[in-house]
Amino acid sequence: MSKILIRGFLLIAVFFFPLQSFAEEVIRFQQLLTIYADDAEKSLLRPEGLDCTSASLIVADTGNNRLLKFALADGTPKGASEIKVPELTQPIRVQVNSKGEILVLDGKKRRIVRLNPAGQFIGYLDPKGLPSGPDIVLRSFKLDRQDNIYILDVFSGRVLILNPEGEYQKEISFPEEYGFFSDLAVAPGGGIFLIDSVESRVFSAPEGSKSFSPITGRVKDIMSFPTGITVDGKGLIYVVDQNGGSIVIFRQDGSFQGRRLAMGWREGLLYYPTQMCVNNDGDAFIADRNNNRIPVFR
Amino acid sequence: MRCRTRLFPAILIVSVLLAFSSAESADKFKLKPDARGKNCLNCHVMFKDKLNNPYIHTPVKTGDCTGCHNPHTAAHEKFLSAGIKDICLKCHTKLLPEKAVSTHKPVAEGECMKCHDPHSEKNKFNLKKPGNALCFECHKEMGDLVSKVKFKHSPVEKGCTNCHSPHASTASVKQLKDQVPGLCLKCHDAKKAVFQNMHMGYPVAGSQCTSCHNPHGSDQRGLLYNRVHSPFAKKMCKECHSQPSSPEPLKLQKTGFELCQKCHSPKINEFFSKNRVHWALLDKKGCLNCHNPHASNQEGLLKKPMMIICGQCHTDTVEKIKKAESKHPPVQEGNCTACHSPHSSDQLSLLGEASVIDVCGQCHDWKQHSMHPIGPKFTDKRNRNLTVTCLSCHRPHGTEYKRMMFFPNSTDTCTDCHEQLKR
Repeated sequence: MSKILIRGFLLIAVFFFPLQSFAEEVIRFQQLLTIYADDAEKSLLRPEGLDCTSASLIVADTGNNRLLKFALADGTPKGASEIKVPELTQPIRVQVNSKGEILVLDGKKRRIVRLNPAGQFIGYLDPKGLPSGPDIVLRSFKLDRQDNIYILDVFSGRVLILNPEGEYQKEISFPEEYGFFSDLAVAPGGGIFLIDSVESRVFSAPEGSKSFSPITGRVKDIMSFPTGITVDGKGLIYVVDQNGGSIVIFRQDGSFQGRRLAMGWREGLLYYPTQMCVNNDGDAFIADRNNNRIPVFR
Repeated sequence: MRCRTRLFPAILIVSVLLAFSSAESADKFKLKPDARGKNCLNCHVMFKDKLNNPYIHTPVKTGDCTGCHNPHTAAHEKFLSAGIKDICLKCHTKLLPEKAVSTHKPVAEGECMKCHDPHSEKNKFNLKKPGNALCFECHKEMGDLVSKVKFKHSPVEKGCTNCHSPHASTASVKQLKDQVPGLCLKCHDAKKAVFQNMHMGYPVAGSQCTSCHNPHGSDQRGLLYNRVHSPFAKKMCKECHSQPSSPEPLKLQKTGFELCQKCHSPKINEFFSKNRVHWALLDKKGCLNCHNPHASNQEGLLKKPMMIICGQCHTDTVEKIKKAESKHPPVQEGNCTACHSPHSSDQLSLLGEASVIDVCGQCHDWKQHSMHPIGPKFTDKRNRNLTVTCLSCHRPHGTEYKRMMFFPNSTDTCTDCHEQLKR
């Protein structure tokens, strides 16, 4: 009898373990709430970038030339503080380092503005010690867990890797064939991912690699014009399909995991989204640019 | 003499094969030995005149009408025993190469008779018209260009088939017999002093000749495209390229927009003063993503027509445009800049105006459009952060529905916002 019971338990464990683990891995995209405005009820306008942790969310409210910083409790924003400095004219990407400093890419100046945790201007983060001259146009940037800075330089066709002080460490050239890279992501393990908007293709350079290679084919049928890419704590890749109004999920081997959400104006739909961020709690925040809002999913 | 002895067996084999094939089709209908062709001509009297033409299709000449036609019944018009393409390819087996890079549209569609008369003609290969006149029946614009241009390219005048294969090409696009520049270099010797002088000593033998020269003729000397970039016309190559004697003579002096900034500084500064710059302008190719720095037929020295240029990156948009049920005229005409500023703008999607309503208002008198309120005072019921604009209901690049609407009918369109009216 006990043998039968043990076998039964084993069978149950074998059948349910993969389901359980898969359920934990992928965000279900159940909508929690939507952020439409700051505490003073000033509406968001064309938000293009964001960064998040379990405790905070910072939004580049591009159309209003400002940042909004929210404290988070269980995925729910509690109060928003506005950050507006004259040096920031067109914030399009934002990242917060481990010291709480805010780094913002200004789309007009194409320079990274450095702000202290209180949102005061410290200076510009211009790459130092570049071996091949200052020919650089920043399209996007990301930080890794050690605060190293990864810059997508579309002018010289490379990803620049800088230390937290902005000093040059190394660079990886873009691959031979590509369309146009709009964003990059850094995986927890150190691998770098690029999203090619024109070719609808994901490229990667695993940790220690000196070159990028495609991990997906040209998947125009599942991504129209992707512009954002992020990797969650478990290594899943989320691509924001701007023109398709959806989120496309891949594993790091390039296998397609699904397409979530759809284009529209109602709650739960996206209209020309640009960026996405996933925190360690598995909450996903999307810069839903043309809907002027930040929907939060779990 | 040796040649003749080789030719004789070949002729013999071809004759036997022809006789055999016509005999085979005749046998199918158990025709009397002297009935082939003659029987048909008993009724098709007018056809006798056809036989007086100098060029007669072989089966017609041998009286093998049943090689192509079924005298009793047929599933194809003119009592043809199969589709035209299949009938022709039965004998002309090498006409469509397996690995064709490009195929002439009428050939691919089996429209052989657009060019050839299947029975007889006054022209070689039974062509319906002699020489280029036949090609210009369809390629009218090319005919106009070739007849009007000041400077003509002699191979074009002698015949399109000097460069193009009329059926298909395994070598190149546009049915060219070889790839450019190889095709051009067959006549133009790059080693000759005159060639080198004209190209200022730059090693252009490996370059794409047709990026500067119009092979069909031009009003510009040297068959350059009609719009020529001023420094190029003045042979100021060194303004952009290295010295012709340097190790990399064709290397550009600067990368991306920086190359053009030297002369077009005010323009580029103006672009960069806007909040949003077209990212294509900022990559390593910069202006050259869209513009030809030497010469072009397009306004603004665009490399190709605007829709093709924009569509190189925005393929998804162009695909949607192609599938759209209702066509928006500026989109249909490929006039992307009617609404978008291609270099930079302060507005989203590089629109030319701050308000979408104002963009549409350049052509449409939206106040006369309908009684539906639009504008900044009216909130979109689906999203409190949006106001009602033209784009609340229409997609300017088109949709699968009429009038560029997002929904198949008015009811669905209206009730998307006015939910309470849903029945």
